[in-house]
Amino acid sequence: MLEFIILLPLLAGIVAMFLPVKVGRGILMVTALLHLILSLSGWLGKLAPALPGYFSVTPEGLLVLLVTSFIFFLISIYAVSYMSVTKLSSEPLYIGCTLLFLASMSMVTLADHIVVLWIAVEATTLMSAPLIFLHRSKSALEATWKYVMICSVGIALALLGCFFVVLSMNIANLHVPITFSSLGLVATRLDPVWLKAGFIFLVIGYGTKMGLAPMHTWLPDAHSEAPSPASALLSGALLNCAFLGVYRGHQLLYQAGIGDFSSSILIGFGLLSMLIAAIFIFNQTGYKRMLAYSSIENMGIIAFGVGIGGMATYGAMLHLIHHSLIKSSLFLSSGNILLGYGTKLINKTGNMVNLLPRTCTAFFAGFVGISGFPPFGIFVSELLIIIGAFKQGRNISVSIFIIALILIFVGVSRLVMKMSFAPNDMSKPLISENLARTLPSYALLLASITLCIWLPESLYQTILSAIATIGGGVHG
Amino acid sequence: MINLNDALLALTVLSVLFGLGSNRLMSLVKIMACQGVVVSLIPFFRDYHHEINVGALIFLLVMLLIKGVLIPGFMYIAVKKVKIQREIEPIIGYHASLFMGLIFILVSVFIAEKLHLSLPRDKVLLMITATTTLAAGLFLIMSRRKAITQVIGYLMMENGIYLVGTALAHGAHTQFVVEFGVLLDLLVGVMIMGIILHNINSSYDDVDTALLGQLKD
Repeated sequence: MLEFIILLPLLAGIVAMFLPVKVGRGILMVTALLHLILSLSGWLGKLAPALPGYFSVTPEGLLVLLVTSFIFFLISIYAVSYMSVTKLSSEPLYIGCTLLFLASMSMVTLADHIVVLWIAVEATTLMSAPLIFLHRSKSALEATWKYVMICSVGIALALLGCFFVVLSMNIANLHVPITFSSLGLVATRLDPVWLKAGFIFLVIGYGTKMGLAPMHTWLPDAHSEAPSPASALLSGALLNCAFLGVYRGHQLLYQAGIGDFSSSILIGFGLLSMLIAAIFIFNQTGYKRMLAYSSIENMGIIAFGVGIGGMATYGAMLHLIHHSLIKSSLFLSSGNILLGYGTKLINKTGNMVNLLPRTCTAFFAGFVGISGFPPFGIFVSELLIIIGAFKQGRNISVSIFIIALILIFVGVSRLVMKMSFAPNDMSKPLISENLARTLPSYALLLASITLCIWLPESLYQTILSAIATIGGGVHG
Repeated sequence: MINLNDALLALTVLSVLFGLGSNRLMSLVKIMACQGVVVSLIPFFRDYHHEINVGALIFLLVMLLIKGVLIPGFMYIAVKKVKIQREIEPIIGYHASLFMGLIFILVSVFIAEKLHLSLPRDKVLLMITATTTLAAGLFLIMSRRKAITQVIGYLMMENGIYLVGTALAHGAHTQFVVEFGVLLDLLVGVMIMGIILHNINSSYDDVDTALLGQLKD
């Protein structure tokens, strides 16, 4: 039964809230492992949905699910070690909410019904808000308030988007189940005006959650105030899930033959996000905020790639995978830095190469990866997006794209150099690094390198069938 | 019955304008309770000439309970607990807000006229009310500093969405989607709970999101 992928973390999360911390940690690890196994068997097609009207297996959903499950497993190893050295008001709450968060994200990836997808996205907001508020400081409260308020407005607008999409079906006098799969079959007969209106609201709604500018304002605060394992989850998993909502809308418009309209909207939002990230990343004072702006940039890249179409879509899908891997690795390293220096300010860090050598290596490697250097996968994905855009003759947009990439590289490299090599008078870090907190970062980076060198055939085929629905391909 | 329907719509618009112009939090909460009741009743009276089925009746009661009793009750507790009576120093003043409300009505009339191709004649007034409420809600969220007023703005926006749905609903499926908007009340509930329970009260002397201004670039 496919729904086990959702039910397992849901039940485990509820149970873990009421159990002592030690048992809860065990439950977290075991559930993460079982979830990964379940997702893999879903990937192999061994699970059929018990409620086919609401859930289904789609290639793009599987892709996001597997990425989510994989990084969740590594993050939970890290989280157990991280939690044991930080003082948190309520660790069972963290364990419970993070599992419920996993359940709601799995629900997003498997949802086929329009309303189920919407409910799942709403649930991700509800489940992740306690994670951001975990430190219970003034600034954590502010970040949580902003997150809940802005994302709730987004979700309300997304509901309006769903409503318009369904309206486009009713106006055309069609009566099919309101699932993305059955709407896709009759897409050409849907009313195009309301479908376009619906897509705009869906992009604004789910785009808020995904961190597209100008609706991104919650993202840097939430990512910097949440404890590092939660930030890694938010950035590596949640943003992809929200992207899935936008992607499904784009799919529907493409199938209805008005894909050009949604493409240009996605390109616009993508470029705007990249430019805004480039501006704000330059003089950033906190390293977690810097990483958060980098997430906005990367979501912009994915939206841009999907909007361009053709070969760039393939690049965008690769980018989604590699961004999740590398960015969550970076956030995990940033957790070690926070433990080591006790501050989120870049100016107070420095000399990381001697104080936290293993973290420094992982952080620097992550920086190299996220900037698009080989051997990490983002090199390939960005290259494919750029080539794809040139092939489509989008010279102006791709120039803006490249300029934004350069600006961000300059901005980030300056800050990362300062953190790694600038002098610092600390003789030893407050809390030194250990294997459980560095190995997950390395494993994530290694996964990115491996996938860059050797892409398994089934992964390749899944990406191809995911992008075929919006007219993408490796030769386009 | 058409008159009753129009009267309800007029009440909604009035409550929106009152919400924009009022600075007393307690009366804002009361006006939101009124608006909640009226908004829940509108779809019911619109379908008055159709047969009334049990499902719709139960849904009406649930809506009345949530929008008319539970949420306003929660907000009442929140306002009592944080001991603030007035919204001082809004980002945009009350007269300007009221004026904006009138502009929203004009724009909504314009939009509804534009849409009349796919809109039955008798729903135009409902559509105007709906867009006005939606826009005014968004405006309240942006133009007020207090956390509780922002929640009220959110609630107003949500009512607007529900009305847009009622105005445009074209069959069973569409109404069904809009009814899920009730789940948004869950988010509202969480926000109010945040104000009541969490340290918003103890960390700050007053529930002012302007004090929530530490994080910026």
